[in-house]
Amino acid sequence: MPWYLYHALKQLFPSGRFFSFFSLVSITGVMLGVCVLIIVQSVMNGFGEGIRKRLVETDGDIRIRSNEVIYDWEEYYERLEAEPDILAVSTFAEGVIMLQHQNRPKFPMIRGVSPWDENQVVPLEKFITLGSLEDFDDEGVFLGEGLAYTLRAGPGSIVEVFTPLMLERLKEDEVLLPREFKVIGLFRTGSPAVDGNTMISTQRVMQELYGLEDGVHGMVLRLRPGVDAFQYARWLEAEVLRPGLEAVSWLESNRDFLFVVEQEKRIISFILIFIILVASFSIAIALMMAVIRKTREIGLLVAMGARPRQVAYSFCFQGFVIGTMGTLTGILMAMVCLHYRVPILAIYTKLTRSEVNFLGQYDVYEIPVHYLASDFIVVTCFAIGISTLAGLLPAFRAARLKPADALRSE
Amino acid sequence: MSDVLIEAKGLKKSFLSGTEPIPVLDGVDFRLSAGTSCSIRGESGSGKSTLLNVLSGLETADAGELHWSGRRVSGLSLSGLAARRAASIGFVFQAYYLAPELNALENVLLAARIHGRVDRATTDRGIHLLEKVGMGHRIKHSSTKLSGGERQRVAVARALINDPPVLLADEPTGNLDEKTGEAVLELLLEMTAGEGKSLVLVTHNPEFAARTDQQLILHLGKLSEN
Repeated sequence: MPWYLYHALKQLFPSGRFFSFFSLVSITGVMLGVCVLIIVQSVMNGFGEGIRKRLVETDGDIRIRSNEVIYDWEEYYERLEAEPDILAVSTFAEGVIMLQHQNRPKFPMIRGVSPWDENQVVPLEKFITLGSLEDFDDEGVFLGEGLAYTLRAGPGSIVEVFTPLMLERLKEDEVLLPREFKVIGLFRTGSPAVDGNTMISTQRVMQELYGLEDGVHGMVLRLRPGVDAFQYARWLEAEVLRPGLEAVSWLESNRDFLFVVEQEKRIISFILIFIILVASFSIAIALMMAVIRKTREIGLLVAMGARPRQVAYSFCFQGFVIGTMGTLTGILMAMVCLHYRVPILAIYTKLTRSEVNFLGQYDVYEIPVHYLASDFIVVTCFAIGISTLAGLLPAFRAARLKPADALRSE
Repeated sequence: MSDVLIEAKGLKKSFLSGTEPIPVLDGVDFRLSAGTSCSIRGESGSGKSTLLNVLSGLETADAGELHWSGRRVSGLSLSGLAARRAASIGFVFQAYYLAPELNALENVLLAARIHGRVDRATTDRGIHLLEKVGMGHRIKHSSTKLSGGERQRVAVARALINDPPVLLADEPTGNLDEKTGEAVLELLLEMTAGEGKSLVLVTHNPEFAARTDQQLILHLGKLSEN
């Protein structure tokens, strides 16, 4: 081992002691910064991943839409079903209705589906919290839990539906009578926007309500795992679908929302980076103090034949070792904290007598964690790089010391 | 190889006090032969340490020529001098300058590491030198736990680890009491004579100076025989 590396290591870990106070404090600073950064990024990833998973489950991987009612859907249904990368296809018709229960009106979305086809694309059966898919027929509807709560409706309730088509008929002096449906069950997807604003009927009912005849508004596809939904949508548009039919991946449908989630993670990470910068600043100060304190020792090293640049390497390497050890221990500490996050959160809520209100949204009932290798690589490179840079200024000063002046210094 | 280890001709060195140059060395001639010892005495501030620094290449002279073992080294950069110095010159300073993070043996071997030589034989030599300076029983002790005399003994061993032909000792007994200082000087003379080295001893003490082969006095920037 070159002497300057040996010297650097001995400065940090002196003989007879495990750590010098300086190295302990510096490593702890980097460790805390890295730990907090990894924890925050992994939890933010967890929330993002949970939300993404929920969006894919609710929306399917790809939706095929058109500005007009699609009457030739059967042709494409068969072609899409034959594609090896498509696991399931389902059709749907959707629109806005006025829904009323005991004089409580709401204007939710109605989604008409072929129940068993839909269940292959979206885990409808899994979402149903009350009732059964077996009972789903043209007389019954499922309500989202949030919608049912607003309307004070539940299984067995009779709800009245008014559609835009009825309003058209009203203009022709026809008597406006609502269509009555029996609520046969409730569902919860975990997405508040869907659960609070959606009613599910059979596709046949929706076609009647909107006067679509046998047309649909679109199709939903479930892809084989690992297939890039965005790229596949582009391929479908180019190779399979006719002009006027648009394939939209779940990433595009929720672009704005996903962008906000991603930006939130980036902004929080950016703010937390300052913890590492503060830690590196303390490393720079500590190393600078060491250079001043060890001025005569540096003079001696040169007297014994050390080259100035080797002295600089020694101080730079100290910054590197501090950064590396701080990063590794920080990652380890973050993993331990995340592993025991449930008891840690329990202790926190007990001590602060608070409730963690964010849990429950998007069906997230515990702090979610998702590790991304890229986060670890970026944080590691950044922390080690900054720590090494923090050693540069002291190293430069040490290298510039004239040996005779250094030996003479008081 | 030349028999003359260090030869200096007309060395001049001055320091600036504000804009005023203060001459410290004013045409110093010096010659150190192999296996000999010499002492340099002078008043405080007369430039003894500066002369030692210039002779060892820690400081460059404003004028004059410097040769190590017949090779001209004046004009070389400090970095260039550093590489040659590791093999040519050993230092013993008044304040010992042991690294507090290292134990006695590690301090001795640090000089060898800088010279690029650390193997079993070097470690054995380090232990042997520590034993010779009477520190064999404390080789693993932290340097911070050694007394002044013990530290200086370790410093002597460190100065000899690379087997340099010349030892420069800058008031090596200055921080020690009379008895310990006497013992350290004895050790220094014994070790240099025993290992066939040359010694340049800077000291205030005329009795210590008298025990070297050649006694020189630095006065007003000029070096003269006592």
